[in-house]
Amino acid sequence: MNSPAPVRIYTMTWVALLALLATTFGLAHLDLGAMSPVASLAIATVKAVLVAVFFMHLRRASALVVLFALVAIFGLAILFTLSGADYATREIHAAPWTAPEGH
Amino acid sequence: MSASVHAIDPRTWRSETASLAMWVFLATELMFFGALFLAYLYVRSHDPGGVAAASRHTHEWLGTLNTAILLTSSFTMALAVRGSQLGQRESVRRFLWITAALGTAFLAVKGIEYAKEWDEGVVPGLHFTVAEHVRATALFFYLYFVATGVHAVHLAIGVVTVLWQSWRLRAPALPPWRVDEIDVTGLYWHFVDAIWVFLYPLFYLVDLHG
Amino acid sequence: MSYLSEGYTLRSWLTTRDHKRIAILYAIAITVFFFLGGAAATLIRLELATPAGDLVSADTYNKLFTLHGVVMVWFFLIPSIPATLGNFLIPLMIGAREVAFPRLNLMSWYIYVLGGLFTVGMLIAGGVDTGWTFYTPYSTMFSNTHVVWAVMGVFIVGFSSILTGLNFIVTIHRMRAPGLTWFRLPLFVWAHYATSLILVLATPVLAMTLVLLSVERLLHVGIFDPALGGDPLLFQHLFWFYSHPAVYIMVLPAMGVVSEIITCFARKRIFGYRFMCYAILGIAGFGFLVWGHHMFVSGQSMYAGMAFSFLSFMVAVPSAIKVFNWTATLYKGSIVFTAPMLYALGFVGLFTVGGLTGLYLAALAVDVHLTDTYFVIAHFHYIMVGGSVMAYLGGIHYWWPKITGRLYNEAWGRMAAIVIFVGFNLTFFPQYLLGYLGMPRRYHEYPPEFQLLNVLSSAGAAVLAVGYLLPLLYLGWSLFLGQRAAPNPWDARGLEWKTASPPPKENFVDEPTVDTVPYQYDPEARVP
Repeated sequence: MNSPAPVRIYTMTWVALLALLATTFGLAHLDLGAMSPVASLAIATVKAVLVAVFFMHLRRASALVVLFALVAIFGLAILFTLSGADYATREIHAAPWTAPEGH
Repeated sequence: MSASVHAIDPRTWRSETASLAMWVFLATELMFFGALFLAYLYVRSHDPGGVAAASRHTHEWLGTLNTAILLTSSFTMALAVRGSQLGQRESVRRFLWITAALGTAFLAVKGIEYAKEWDEGVVPGLHFTVAEHVRATALFFYLYFVATGVHAVHLAIGVVTVLWQSWRLRAPALPPWRVDEIDVTGLYWHFVDAIWVFLYPLFYLVDLHG
Repeated sequence: MSYLSEGYTLRSWLTTRDHKRIAILYAIAITVFFFLGGAAATLIRLELATPAGDLVSADTYNKLFTLHGVVMVWFFLIPSIPATLGNFLIPLMIGAREVAFPRLNLMSWYIYVLGGLFTVGMLIAGGVDTGWTFYTPYSTMFSNTHVVWAVMGVFIVGFSSILTGLNFIVTIHRMRAPGLTWFRLPLFVWAHYATSLILVLATPVLAMTLVLLSVERLLHVGIFDPALGGDPLLFQHLFWFYSHPAVYIMVLPAMGVVSEIITCFARKRIFGYRFMCYAILGIAGFGFLVWGHHMFVSGQSMYAGMAFSFLSFMVAVPSAIKVFNWTATLYKGSIVFTAPMLYALGFVGLFTVGGLTGLYLAALAVDVHLTDTYFVIAHFHYIMVGGSVMAYLGGIHYWWPKITGRLYNEAWGRMAAIVIFVGFNLTFFPQYLLGYLGMPRRYHEYPPEFQLLNVLSSAGAAVLAVGYLLPLLYLGWSLFLGQRAAPNPWDARGLEWKTASPPPKENFVDEPTVDTVPYQYDPEARVP
């Protein structure tokens, strides 16, 4: 933790974040079909990375801190992938549901 | 990172340790919100049309405004942290105030949205009068209120913490441990912002072109 | 002046920041919960001594096994070794004066107590009958018991876990003595580090799941009930994503204890130290990949089931490596059968049986027959009771002189260990047979042909209860009348033995330095 970054680094990050916000808002009004969630999540990821790297100082952090910054992403990737494996390969047969007594 | 407290000077050791501790805590927070994201993934993949219809009940301009507010608050928080590292106490107080104000503005806008959503009858279980895509809208807004509500609680805690840090800087001193505290407060604040960065497209930008 | 004599008032204990005192606060609290969970178990085994459901009603029985599970998992097993032995020993073992965040440590105890009070309150108000697993839609839609209250108690105590884990991670990374590199750490510390990773990453998922369950129950809208457009398996995926790693939270610290005890009483360095470290990390890592093996018959996709089955076989490998290495440590060691050693050896044997039966359950086709039977109950009790509880007791005995400054009576210690071992096997081995023969779990009545095995099991439970009560007596006695302990009564290695028994408040008079790998034992040396 030596001398902090010059102000312009933060300002440029902020400007980039707002520009990405405008972009994602604009793109959402176009008909991109299946690419729409991909685009909006990709832009969200870029924003989050900018916040993490420049505002949260990850670019100057130790390897250990970066590891902890990433570990939950791995954990969630496991949660989503293996649960997703169930949902992707399971056939769901909707059946009519009857209410129990009193509900 | 060096093994023991003896390899580096105490000042640096303290600030690195505080930072590591906050990152470990943020990892737990990310897992906490992550469970919600799985629930969202389930709902959206099972009825994409219904979710798209439901999402049109959100207020995209207010949501976008709020995103801009929160991103800006991260900017001012980062400047506060930077100022604290340079010993600029007055500047830090100013930026902390602005950050808290922006966070409060976000919460106010959120409150306005919630009030509108109540009037529009999209609050499942409490005030729900939707006639089409009933199930999908109920599930979508269930997730919306839980996600944005939990987020708002986190943000409110952040606002209180930032105000408290600013209040503690009344005395004309900026000791090293205060700098560390402001640094980890900043990390928490940016995390809450980053979560919102994902909530925004998931709830507001699903289907705006239809 | 030891840490025990730094203030005798209740206030000095309740406002302490000393990790050693906080460990004792936890020890008292978890002992209370152990006997509460044990009381529920007693009633269960009494009911099951006869085939008819004649002691309690079915609803009450449901509440009993729910209470037993909730209390034993969250209020006893998960905190047991980490919050007591871990809190006491980790700073000592790394040559530190304190944990990284002492006030957070105290707060974690208060949060634990608050969660405990919630749960006891819920019990007094009438209990909950969903099983400790809170499966939906029964818990969200149909149960008429205090589900939200129970779930909030668990939610609260989860934060205690998270704070403990966070404290340990930062302490171990940042506060090791000069020269104490990672591969010079005792395995007890490695085990608690890996456990802490699981604590901080898995527990929050449970927390959110319980929030979602509560909202769904209160507002009748949600994602866990097909009637509402949801999926009960989504609850199960989220619940088991935490609850499977949770069993490694319960067993990894026990493995750490066992490594310390076996090396000391075989007078031998651990065999394959680095592989033991990698195995610990492997168990923690792989433990996150296998949760679907709790869902083989739930309606989960067959392909997901195959993936989880394969991964569950993989997770057995690092555990097996540890068992081989403990055995190899014993080989040509100079073995002394003290009470801690009896517990540690019991762990190795019983954990092996429990672990092998886990492989039976991991085999998809076999699981179809065994799931939801007493085989599963026997499997996890072999690991959690035959394993973790025995390791906990072994650790309590091993470090008792260090913690209290007193020696317990060794004859009584050995006797209790043997009574517990016999009682345990008599209680739970018949349950493997019952399960194989088809007796379902969570039933308060059963066909008469199962009675003999059930009576054996209930008899065993009586023996086990005696075994658990004995340490209360002779350990309690030793606190007042036990012989005073020297700094290192076992001639053990490790930094905790290089300070007084009990230690001073700052742990060490002079800060230690480390220049060797751990477990510098020599089986050839004459024991004085």
